[in-house]
Amino acid sequence: MTFGDILRTAWSNLTRRKVRTSLTSLGVTVGIFTIVVMLSLGVGVQRVIQQQFDAIGLENVVVQPRDAERNPYTRYVRPEREVVISPAKIAEWQQRPDIVSVTPIVDVNESISKRLVLPGDATATIAVGVDPGVGINNPFETPPTALAGVLRPTKDGEIVISQRALRRLGLTAEVNNLIGQEVQLVMETPRGESQSFDYTLVGVSSADNNLVALTPNDSIALKAWWFNEPDLLATEGYDYALIRAKDLNVARQLTNELRTQRFRVQSVETVLELASKIFLVINIMLGSVGGLALFVATIGIMNTMIMAIYERTREIGTLKAIGASRGNIRTLFMTEAGMIGFFGGVVGLLGGWGTGRILNRFALAYLEQEQVPIRGDFFYIPPWLIALALGFGLVVGIIAGLYPAARAARLDPIKALRHE
Amino acid sequence: MGQASSLIRTTNLQRTYQMGKNTVQALAGVDLEIERGTFVALVGPSGSGKSTLLNVIGGLDRPSSGEVWVDDLELGRAPDKKLVSFRRDRVGFIFQSFNLLPTNQAWENVALPLMLAGRGRSERRKRAEHLLDQVGLGDRADHRPAELSGGQQQRVAIARALANDPVLILADEPTGNLDSRTGRDVLLLMQRLVREQQVTLLMVTHDMNAASYADRIVHMRDGVIEQIEIVERTAEAVA
Repeated sequence: MTFGDILRTAWSNLTRRKVRTSLTSLGVTVGIFTIVVMLSLGVGVQRVIQQQFDAIGLENVVVQPRDAERNPYTRYVRPEREVVISPAKIAEWQQRPDIVSVTPIVDVNESISKRLVLPGDATATIAVGVDPGVGINNPFETPPTALAGVLRPTKDGEIVISQRALRRLGLTAEVNNLIGQEVQLVMETPRGESQSFDYTLVGVSSADNNLVALTPNDSIALKAWWFNEPDLLATEGYDYALIRAKDLNVARQLTNELRTQRFRVQSVETVLELASKIFLVINIMLGSVGGLALFVATIGIMNTMIMAIYERTREIGTLKAIGASRGNIRTLFMTEAGMIGFFGGVVGLLGGWGTGRILNRFALAYLEQEQVPIRGDFFYIPPWLIALALGFGLVVGIIAGLYPAARAARLDPIKALRHE
Repeated sequence: MGQASSLIRTTNLQRTYQMGKNTVQALAGVDLEIERGTFVALVGPSGSGKSTLLNVIGGLDRPSSGEVWVDDLELGRAPDKKLVSFRRDRVGFIFQSFNLLPTNQAWENVALPLMLAGRGRSERRKRAEHLLDQVGLGDRADHRPAELSGGQQQRVAIARALANDPVLILADEPTGNLDSRTGRDVLLLMQRLVREQQVTLLMVTHDMNAASYADRIVHMRDGVIEQIEIVERTAEAVA
C-alpha cells in the first residue's frame, strides 16, 4: 500500500462515522485549544514586556558608586564613597570601542531646597526638584515629550522646565515663545545663606511634575554650593552613569567587569532574566492544563479506535484474507488515530488563534481606556507553537492508536471473518 | 511427482483444535490432489472439515501435521510473510456474505488486492473496469456496495478475486446468501471464468445443486475425504 492509499483509506473510514470522529477529535481540540491560548498568552505578554524593555534599551547598564561601610563614627554623616565615578572614569569608558555612549548623572536630593524664580518678579517663585534623568523610563507611563525646544539641556547654563512648573510660575504664553527666557534657581540653606544660579530656558517638557532638568555640571555646582565643597566632583564623582553598550553581550560582560571593580551595577537584562524565569514557570503550569486535557483525549481516541476495530472485525479479516499484512493493518489504524488527533489539533489551533484575536482586542480596548501606553499582541502565536500544536495533536493520536492498531493487526483472519 | 498438472496436493493433512478440554480433529488425514484449471466443489455436512481444508489451502490456517503444497509452496512450513504474499498475489477469495468494503466504490473493491500489492491508482482503475466488464457490471464501477443487489455484490467480489490474476480461487459458500436464480447466475459465471481463464476454483458448499456445476465433487465427512465424484456433462448442458 502506498502512503497515498493509506491516507485515502483512513480518510474514507473516518468519514463514514462523522459524528463519532468529530466528537473524538473534539477532545484533542479542547486540549490543543487550551495549550494554544495559554501559551500564546504567555509568549505574547512576555513579548510585549520585552518590547517595553527593548524601548528602554537592554544594552543599557546603570553604574552607581558604592558607599563605604558605615561605622558608629560615620553613621550620621554623609557616607564616604568606596569607588567614585570620576570625570576621568567617564572619559575612560567613553574611549572604549565597545561602549556607544556614557551619560553621567547627578542626583540633587530633594532635601536640598531650591526655588525657581523669574528674575524681576518677586511673586513668581515655586519650589522645584532636579530631574536626574536616569535614562530608564517607567514602561507603564507615557514618557514625557518636548513641547518646545529640547527635552534635556545640552550646554551648561541651560535649563528645561516642565509645562506645569511654568504655568505655576505664571508663564502661560505659548510655549514656543518662552524659549530663551531667563530663570533663576535660588538655594537657601537652613543656616540662612542663599545663592542664585542663572539659566536660559531651552525646552519645555510635557512631564506632569515640578522638576527641572540641568546638565550634570550645573547639578554638581548646586550640590557643591549646598555642601560647601567646591571640589565635590573630584571627591565624590557623579551619582550614576548610564552606559550604553554596543550590544547585549558587551552589556553582560561590562556588568561583571564593573562589579569586580566594586561598582554597583544594574542592567535591565538582569530584571528580564528573572521575568523570563517567572514566565517559564507560568507557561509550564498553563501548558499542563492543556496536557491534562490531551491525556483525556488520548483515552477518548483509544476508546473510539477499539470500538471501530470491533465494528470492522469482519472487514479486517477480509483484508487479511486477500493479502493485507499485519503491518498494513497496523499502519491503517494508526493513521486513522493520527488523523483524528491531527484534525483535533488543527481545529484547536484555529480556535485558539481566533480566541486570542478576540481577547487581544478586549485587552487593548481596556488598556486604551485606562490610558496605559502599552500596545502589542498579547496572544502571540510563534511558528514553534503552530508546529507544537499540530505535532502534539498528531502524536496524541498516534500514541492513542498504538494499542488498538496492534490489536487489529493481531486478529486471527479466520475468527475475524466469522465475526458478526 | 506430477507437479506439472496438479496445483494442489495434500498428504496426510491433519488439523486439530483445542476446544476447552476437548481436542477436535477437523482434518484427520486428508490426501487430495487437484489439477490446474478445474472447478472443484467441496461438500459435506457441517463439521466435516471442508471449511478448515479451504482455509489451510488458502494459507489462512496452518495444518497440525502433514503437507499442503499449492503451486511450488509448502504452506505448512512457509513463514508468515510468505503466506501474506501468497494470499495477496496468487489466491482469490470469495465469501458467503461478499465482504465488500462499504465505503469503497465497486471498482475500488475490485482493485483492493492491487492496492495491497502497491500498484498505482490509474493502473488499478483500468484493471478493475476490465474485470467489472467481464462479470457484467461495467456500468456499476462507481457504485457503492449498498447500491448494488446481492447478486451484483457477489459478482464484484468475484471480480476482486480475479484482480491479482490468481492461480487459485477459493469460494466459501458463494451462493449461500443468494436466492436460487442469482445463485445460478453466479455459479455459471464462475464456471465460465474457470474455463476461459484456466484458473483453478475450489468451492465449499453444502448445496448439492451448487456442487453440480463443478467438474469434481469432493465429499468430506469427519475430517476425511469420503469420495471424489467426477461430474459428467455434455457441453450443451452447461450452456
